[in-house]
Amino acid sequence: MVAQGPGPAARLAVEDRLYAALAVLRVVVTLNFVALTIWRWDNFSRPGWTLVVVLAILLWTVVVQILYSVPSRRTTWLYVADLAVTMAALATTPWLKSENFRATTPGFWVMCVVLAWAIHWNWRGGVVAGAAVSLSDVVVRSAAITQTNYSNIFLLLLGGAVVGYMCQTLQQMSAERAVAERREAIAHERARLARAVHDGVLQVLALVQRRGSESTGDWAELGVLAGEQESALRALIHAQDTWSTSAVTGGAGDEGQPALLVRDLAGALERTVGTRVTVATPGRAVDLPTEVVDTLLGAVGACLDNVRLHVGLDAPAWVLLEDHGDRVVVSVRDEGPGIAAGRLEEARSQGRLGVSSSICGRLDEIGGTATVQTGSWGTEWELSVPRDQ
Amino acid sequence: MVVDDHPMWRDAVERDLAASGLDVVAVAASGDEAITRFAASRPQVVVLDLQIPAPNGVEVTRTVLAQDPSARVLILSASGEQEDVLEALKAGATGYLVKSASRTDLLDAVRRVAGGGTVFTPGLAGLVLGEFRRISDPANQRPETPELTERETEVLRMVAKGWGSKQIAERLFISHRTVQNHVQNTLRKLQLHNRVELTRWAIEQGLDEVDEV
Repeated sequence: MVAQGPGPAARLAVEDRLYAALAVLRVVVTLNFVALTIWRWDNFSRPGWTLVVVLAILLWTVVVQILYSVPSRRTTWLYVADLAVTMAALATTPWLKSENFRATTPGFWVMCVVLAWAIHWNWRGGVVAGAAVSLSDVVVRSAAITQTNYSNIFLLLLGGAVVGYMCQTLQQMSAERAVAERREAIAHERARLARAVHDGVLQVLALVQRRGSESTGDWAELGVLAGEQESALRALIHAQDTWSTSAVTGGAGDEGQPALLVRDLAGALERTVGTRVTVATPGRAVDLPTEVVDTLLGAVGACLDNVRLHVGLDAPAWVLLEDHGDRVVVSVRDEGPGIAAGRLEEARSQGRLGVSSSICGRLDEIGGTATVQTGSWGTEWELSVPRDQ
Repeated sequence: MVVDDHPMWRDAVERDLAASGLDVVAVAASGDEAITRFAASRPQVVVLDLQIPAPNGVEVTRTVLAQDPSARVLILSASGEQEDVLEALKAGATGYLVKSASRTDLLDAVRRVAGGGTVFTPGLAGLVLGEFRRISDPANQRPETPELTERETEVLRMVAKGWGSKQIAERLFISHRTVQNHVQNTLRKLQLHNRVELTRWAIEQGLDEVDEV
């Protein structure tokens, strides 16, 4: 495998930890093996050679204990040699004991090599090493296989496969987590750089706009264009900021909660209105069901269309979004001549569905209210929607 | 004093201020420069960009106002990050203007801030309203949480909807001065709340543990 990204490193880290755990296990089974040998010393027909074999096994244990602890020394040769030594240790049994022995010389010590293979070559390694060890065990026995022998072999094969599979899963998860962490770090860094770049661009756009407003002709036009781009970029930055925070809360929410059906009204408002409109928001996301946000945006759009129609294309307008907790209020104001007294009623009685009734209708749909105040100072719509927690 | 890390902007603002007869006593390109030069030149008004090399605009506001509480800080920011503006305001700044504001707006704002007044954009008023709603939320409420009076809320909402202070005065039948006072009061309450919070934080972080050590 090519060393690419954090995956292999994460796999290696998992392998290291598993070998550390195996080292402890190896000490336990070795002590068990030595104790059993002393206890059943009478069963050995060649005590002198038995001592030699036991010492050889202990020496090999120390050697692999050292070799397995260093990743660069965990070569294929080591695994093969470990397996060969284990099989040889098993093969000495009929010679050291009698032909009809029950327990092999190394006993449970043989599980170490199976687990070592399982950690390195996962379930396949576990099965192969388990099968090799089991086969040696069966071959050296001249007596018929007892049920206990069979159970031990079965457990060894099963254990090798299961441990191998679990190691594989652990390594995969660890690699995936490392990749995710890396992606997150990259995204953070990108956002940090983008912020600096955005700030610079905003500064330049603002400067062009400012210079443009002091001159005439092409320069003035350039200034207006810069202004449009400035507000577009500002809205984009705001939308990105609120998106990233709501994405985090959405991800951590209950699985039953449809996170996608909620949308931030504050960000949406800043993105949709034009350059002649000033938007004031509470500065944090105001999350509402998507259809409520869409309807409110439609209503605000209708109010602003009204401003353009009755006051002028370049007429300024202001939008204020307030989050009262139990309800959300959007105000839209202009400085036009106002709506003449009785004109709304007149339009309604004539059966003409004016803009105002379309605004009221939209709010009705989502259980809200729309009120309008008008006078010589202009017109102000207040759109209020209750929020059910 | 003009603080901005973009030379283009620094020069433009300096030129505009000087052309209208104001005296620019110092300019600075970073937070460190700003703090050192403030101590040396003692300006009445600091026109401050928030996005400057460390320490940032919020820190600079806090430091210079601790040195000279009679100085005034006007934030002139291009940044789309509204939280920073709110923080600078809590630290004691009394005005906020976006960089795309016209030259007349800028000069007007500097004069207003120098005279002890406040400069609010509709966007800023919306933020302050949101902040007061947040701190008066039952979940966050503490005994000494400041609250806006009905009049203050009304005035702040009108500012957020783009009303000028003269228009507000006419509409509410109050004097122009009273409108300004209402806006200033909201700012003072916010700054006071911030100081109380900071003190509480200091105590919680273990001022009372000092005795045990």
